[in-house]
Amino acid sequence: MNIKEKVLLIEDERTIRGFMQAILTANGYDVLMASTGAMADTMISSHCPDIIILDLGLPDMDGMTILRNVRKWSKVPILVVSARSYERDKVEALDAGADDYLTKPFGTEELLARIRAAVRHTRTPDGAAAVANSGVFTAGELTIDYGKHRVYIAGRDANLTQNEYKLVALLGLHAGKVLTYDYLIKELWGPSARSDNQILRVNMANIRRKIEKKPAQPAYIFTEAGVGYRMAEGD
Amino acid sequence: MTRNTKDQTFRGCLRQIFPFSWRDCAVCLGILAAAALLCALLRMIDTSDVYVALIFECAVVLVSRFTDGYLFGLLASVIGVVGVNWIFTYPYMQLNFTISGYPLTFLVMLAVSVVVGTLTTQIKQQEKLRAEAEKEKMRGNLLRAVSHDIRTPLTAIVGGIDAILKNGDQISPETRKNLLENMRDESNWLIGVVENLLSVTRMSGASNIKKELEAGEEVLSAAAMKFNRHYPAIEVCITAPDVLLMIPMDIILIEQVLINLMENAVQHGKTTTKIELRLKSANGLAVFEVADNGCGIQKELLPHLFDGYLTRDQEEISDQRRNMGIGLSVCMSIVQAHGGTMRARNRKKVGALLQFTLPLEENSHEYQREGSSD
Repeated sequence: MNIKEKVLLIEDERTIRGFMQAILTANGYDVLMASTGAMADTMISSHCPDIIILDLGLPDMDGMTILRNVRKWSKVPILVVSARSYERDKVEALDAGADDYLTKPFGTEELLARIRAAVRHTRTPDGAAAVANSGVFTAGELTIDYGKHRVYIAGRDANLTQNEYKLVALLGLHAGKVLTYDYLIKELWGPSARSDNQILRVNMANIRRKIEKKPAQPAYIFTEAGVGYRMAEGD
Repeated sequence: MTRNTKDQTFRGCLRQIFPFSWRDCAVCLGILAAAALLCALLRMIDTSDVYVALIFECAVVLVSRFTDGYLFGLLASVIGVVGVNWIFTYPYMQLNFTISGYPLTFLVMLAVSVVVGTLTTQIKQQEKLRAEAEKEKMRGNLLRAVSHDIRTPLTAIVGGIDAILKNGDQISPETRKNLLENMRDESNWLIGVVENLLSVTRMSGASNIKKELEAGEEVLSAAAMKFNRHYPAIEVCITAPDVLLMIPMDIILIEQVLINLMENAVQHGKTTTKIELRLKSANGLAVFEVADNGCGIQKELLPHLFDGYLTRDQEEISDQRRNMGIGLSVCMSIVQAHGGTMRARNRKKVGALLQFTLPLEENSHEYQREGSSD
């Protein structure tokens, strides 16, 4: 028997809940619903959903509070949905542990793709397990060899510098997920680093010139404007 | 408490008349030093001191013109009079105000600095008012265009839904699918309108736009990716220079400009199948281009493209259902807020080309100062 993935939908708007439930059910998910933060709290601990879709604007409490509470004890993938479109909200949610971020209005294709990606990450916990087994991440012609600390493109060494390698390696570990500029800067240059985006931009430009066929039209590392970078899903 | 606030308003008032900044201080000292240097040099040629007072007078005018408020103009005239008296006129290196004419010189210099200060302050205020009126006009145009344009798609959506809900049985599956697809297109178009409105609030909200150095190629690829999510069938081709181009901008706003231009290329180009995004640098400017292979822009429309709104009759002439004014006027104001320019033309063979520039150097000093005083 096919076990359905359990989705907990935390959303206060009836119409949005309605259409999302219809789509998710039609695509083979088991849908649970909560319309308030209090309800969501109890449902998360009693049902242990496989993925949580969380609207940040709830009537009784801020969605960010729920996000932080859940992250204290669980690594369940959380997809944040919000009508706020300022990128600092995205950054805040991602830094607080959200796996992905969707801004209303979004299309059904986009919703389903993000859910699939987020669930895939739980199957390879921390994103690192698959890599930990083989020591290698591959996406298309790109190969990151974590044992040798090397990045290959179509079998050839891309000759990345140490910082460039660190950046690519980090994005590869969390492939498919947006890593925020602040997070990357802190990981690479330490917590006291001035959050100067420019070094990061320059490093990324160099990396793209080494691994992408067309640096302005990247196939591996994408830019989410104002938020961060995302590595393409691994094979 | 009331006394406190009174004190504060008094101080605020004082600050308005005598604003202090280190930049102005430097400007004042620089101009005076230049005047002194000029006098010293001229003295080598001509030992008379007729010109000294005039040169310092000129310096006072310049200081009043290039600093805010009255403080530095007055300061400059005092320093000027003392300097002229002390250094450059007989008896040299001595203060002597008893010689006839000096009190008068002093008064004239003071009067000039006050008059010039008042005039420049007035001009600056007028400029500010004009900028605000411009903003207000743009906002008004936008609201008018939006409310006019939002009605059509909403009518189509509500009508379509009513048709399906009430006469569902009589409608063939094919028609139903058509209706639904139309409704989706109209809704997507409304989403675009909302995105543009958000961009406008982003600009008029927090005092002014916040620019950061961003990689030019990244804004192109990010915009292309977002665009392709809605228009997967359109091929987008990006050309950027080999050398990384860092451009001061608000990346979200510039991304919106590029998306608007690409969407226009599809919606008004009609036959567009391919869009080229190009970036190059020329004369201290970053030049962005969005070129399509559609039907081009009608000649009559070209001069009015960025007016903020194409009037209704123009729209009828052009037989275009949708007003392209909203997207383009938002683009225009975003680019202008960055200190750039925008123009449109038809390509030689096929399609339209829209081009905008952004300055590579952060030299919009005046603009930022204006923002901080709000």
